[in-house]
Amino acid sequence: MIFGDKLLARCLLSCVLFFALSMGASAHADSVSVSAAKWDLGQLMQSLAQVKNIQGQFVERKYLSILNAPLEFSGTLFYAAPSHLEKRTLLPKPESMVLDQDRLTLERKNQRRSLVLQDYPVVWAFVEGIRSTLAGDLQTLSRFYRVNLEGSVNQWRLVLVPSEPQMQGVVSEIYISGSKNRVASIEILETGGDRSVMTITEGAP
Amino acid sequence: MNSTARWALGVWFTFLLVCGLIISRTEFTTDMSAFLPRSPSPAQKVLVEQLRDGVVSRLILIGLEGGTPATLAQTSKSLAAQLRKEPEFISVNNGESVGAEKDRDFLWRNRYLLSPAITAEHFSAPTLRTSLEDDLQLLGSPAGALVKRILPADPSGELIRLIDQLQGQTKPAMHDGVWFAKDGKRALLVAQTTAPGYDIDAQQRAVMLIQRAFTQASNTGAAPQHMLVSGPGVFSVRARDSIKGDAMRISLIATTLIALMLLALYRSPRVLVLGLLPVASGALAGVAAVSLGFGSVHGITLGFGATLIGEGVDYAIYLFTQITPARTPQTTLARIWPTLRLGVLTSICGFSAMLFSGFPGLAQLGLFSIAGLIVAVAVTRWVLPAMLPRGFTAQMVGAFAPSVMSLVQRAPRLRYLSLLVVILALASIIAHRGPIWNKQLGSLSPISKQDQGVDEQLRRDIGAPDVRYLIVVNAQDEERTLQASEKIGALLQPLIAQGALETFDSPAIYLPSQALQRERQTALPAPGTLRENMQQALSGLPFQSDLFEPFLRDVAVAKTQPLQDRRNLQGTNLALKLDSLLVKHTQGWMAMLPLRGVTQAQIIAAEIAKLPGQQIVLLDIKREADRLYQTYLRDAIMLSLLGAIAIVLLLAVSLRSPRRVLRVLMPLAAAVITVTALLTAGGHQLTIFHLVGLLLVVAIGSNYALFFDRQGDSGHDRERMLTSLLFANLSTVIGFGLLSFSHAPVLQAIGITVGGGAILSLVFSAILILPSAPEKTSLDRTLLR
Repeated sequence: MIFGDKLLARCLLSCVLFFALSMGASAHADSVSVSAAKWDLGQLMQSLAQVKNIQGQFVERKYLSILNAPLEFSGTLFYAAPSHLEKRTLLPKPESMVLDQDRLTLERKNQRRSLVLQDYPVVWAFVEGIRSTLAGDLQTLSRFYRVNLEGSVNQWRLVLVPSEPQMQGVVSEIYISGSKNRVASIEILETGGDRSVMTITEGAP
Repeated sequence: MNSTARWALGVWFTFLLVCGLIISRTEFTTDMSAFLPRSPSPAQKVLVEQLRDGVVSRLILIGLEGGTPATLAQTSKSLAAQLRKEPEFISVNNGESVGAEKDRDFLWRNRYLLSPAITAEHFSAPTLRTSLEDDLQLLGSPAGALVKRILPADPSGELIRLIDQLQGQTKPAMHDGVWFAKDGKRALLVAQTTAPGYDIDAQQRAVMLIQRAFTQASNTGAAPQHMLVSGPGVFSVRARDSIKGDAMRISLIATTLIALMLLALYRSPRVLVLGLLPVASGALAGVAAVSLGFGSVHGITLGFGATLIGEGVDYAIYLFTQITPARTPQTTLARIWPTLRLGVLTSICGFSAMLFSGFPGLAQLGLFSIAGLIVAVAVTRWVLPAMLPRGFTAQMVGAFAPSVMSLVQRAPRLRYLSLLVVILALASIIAHRGPIWNKQLGSLSPISKQDQGVDEQLRRDIGAPDVRYLIVVNAQDEERTLQASEKIGALLQPLIAQGALETFDSPAIYLPSQALQRERQTALPAPGTLRENMQQALSGLPFQSDLFEPFLRDVAVAKTQPLQDRRNLQGTNLALKLDSLLVKHTQGWMAMLPLRGVTQAQIIAAEIAKLPGQQIVLLDIKREADRLYQTYLRDAIMLSLLGAIAIVLLLAVSLRSPRRVLRVLMPLAAAVITVTALLTAGGHQLTIFHLVGLLLVVAIGSNYALFFDRQGDSGHDRERMLTSLLFANLSTVIGFGLLSFSHAPVLQAIGITVGGGAILSLVFSAILILPSAPEKTSLDRTLLR
């Protein structure tokens, strides 16, 4: 591809940021029991890995320095283990993103675009980080982020700090918080100070 | 040596010197132009130009296999880096974004001149409002991070539009930053050579450079990798190597065998060498004559011409084997000369029709063979006798003569059987299902099935299917050519929506015409107007105030900036693309618009025809090339038939007897029919190579028939004469028969046709031509009836 690799990478990156948000979509807590006494990062990853299906709704707010009011989007999320994820925005205008294995397909205003994630190391790092979180693969996750766990089993927060310089240029920190094996919100702090927060409620719309 | 002989030698020697001098200044060509008629249509001209040195002819596709994706990607990168340093390559593309910064910079600085969206409406308040609302949506979408950065200077998204337009073509998958096949097992590169596809030497250098660079690049100690290379130039190199290799090996074996046979016959190495003089002199004369007549000599003329005058080898054999102690070279010559002369004249008549062909390639062939045969027979007549050792005689011939004669005497018993064979052969040709002649240019292709398969695979992987349809525009200058390209582009867009084609490429995408750039510049609003429009459009939207100052500033700059031309593109990848689609030639400029996924060529052609006053051609490369070859083949067949008529007339005038004419023609016709039937039954579709082979069969066979037909020879003379035919035939069969084992289709076709045809001509001559003794005339009557 001759043109705009960087542009495209950025575009993809941003789109993967969205996935980061959606990936955390609520997990079913009932199938896994966790012992609070020995609870740690490994335990959290293990319980997240048990989740095979997620269906939920999201509300996302973006706070951008170029705007004098936040943007709000809402829609549905669907996840099927190990690697299929869909985010369908319904408001204010419909658009969709589907990640299947390594292929990302975007649809907006009758335009459809399909991309392979491996083409872009930064994007790949990002997706692999999120995917590893869901899969409970701490080893892979640690290749791309310094991972920290705060809080308790009933109210935990994962702090991901990118270790790759390229990634650091775009994202400074990612917070994923939840309860047991259920993800409730994802907050992304961009390097320039912009920020987005997505909250997830579980269940069919 | 008498004075006549001395004169002859002197003339011959001088003649050879002159020929050598002419040849040393001759230009030899090897491109498609041999198949181009004298007054080609515009489409044919473009086609041959494209096949000669068009961008399509310069592509080399490379596939790397055998390692992990990571090591293959590494090899791809270092291979590309090495090749980019070589002046032999215009570009080497493997998916890495080399020079993308410059491209992006050019697009960014000139977005308001380049974008197809710029009209007077585009920056009105309502349209701006729609753009800004879209921007808000985009900020929350995957493109948000990109949009956020450039939004203040480009709220209407012109840069994204431009990049979209340029990325419209399908591209291969990527791995580790380089192109890969979909299954991830093969890394892909596309190189474009500096030299045109027809320059086989340069293409060979390019292929060697690629191989050397690959050896270095893949030497990583990891799993062994291997490389697939394909493309028109690569094929030419391989074809030449295989034909050269085969021709060398086979002619070495054939020459050895023939030389051994003749040495056994002559018992004199000197005579053996003398035997080659006629045909060698003839070849030199042929090349010199074509060079003088046409200004250059085509490779096909050389190959086919040398084949056609193969008859010249026989002349020396006829002479040498018939000399006895009782018959000096001079008396032998005096005896056989009328027949030899008629034989040569017959061949010349056969070939002369080609002189009048509308294809310079065929006309060259006619001239070559005529000049060659005249010189070959003249050297046999006037030069050879003086150079023969005194008292030379081929002893061995006498030993064979009795058995040859007894065979010849018994041969006529087979006449009914042979007639049956010919009738069956004729029936099988008539009953043959499917066409006898192969009408596709591809039938001449020396590319093996395996190579074709690799080529198709790589093209599929890279997503660059063979370009079959091309719109070609000619105009007197660059500007008009670009303007015409823009008009065609506008015409193609609705056809894409209709599904007549998938997509197209055009030079105007990379560089709009000055007129269009000016039109866009004029359409940009004045700074004050734009500011007002923007304020109206922004009301009620959550953008920070003053956010769009960079936009207002950039439009003001664009309103007065200089228009862009070719020079401004220098150093970008856009320039490479533009140069391949927009070229200057002697009469003006030419633009090419390759079409992809064409489903309704007629509709496209009809739409293009509506554009007034333009030189625009929709070129279907495959169909046009086949049609060109078909006319060539048809011309060659028709001229050969005319040549056959000329032969009949010549024989009628010389022999002054319809019966004898028929006697001479019958074995020739029988041989041609039978060998054609054998070829067809053997699954061969005949090509121009077979036709040339058949012409040679007639040329050689007519000599056999004429010698058999001779009257008034003593029994002894006739014995020696017929035996000399056997040895002439043996040398032809050895020489051409071995070619049929070649892997190169050209050599194989000619080998089978001539080898088989020569034997059949001799056998049919022996069977069908009876000495004119009184008791045999009844048979003649039966045959005539």
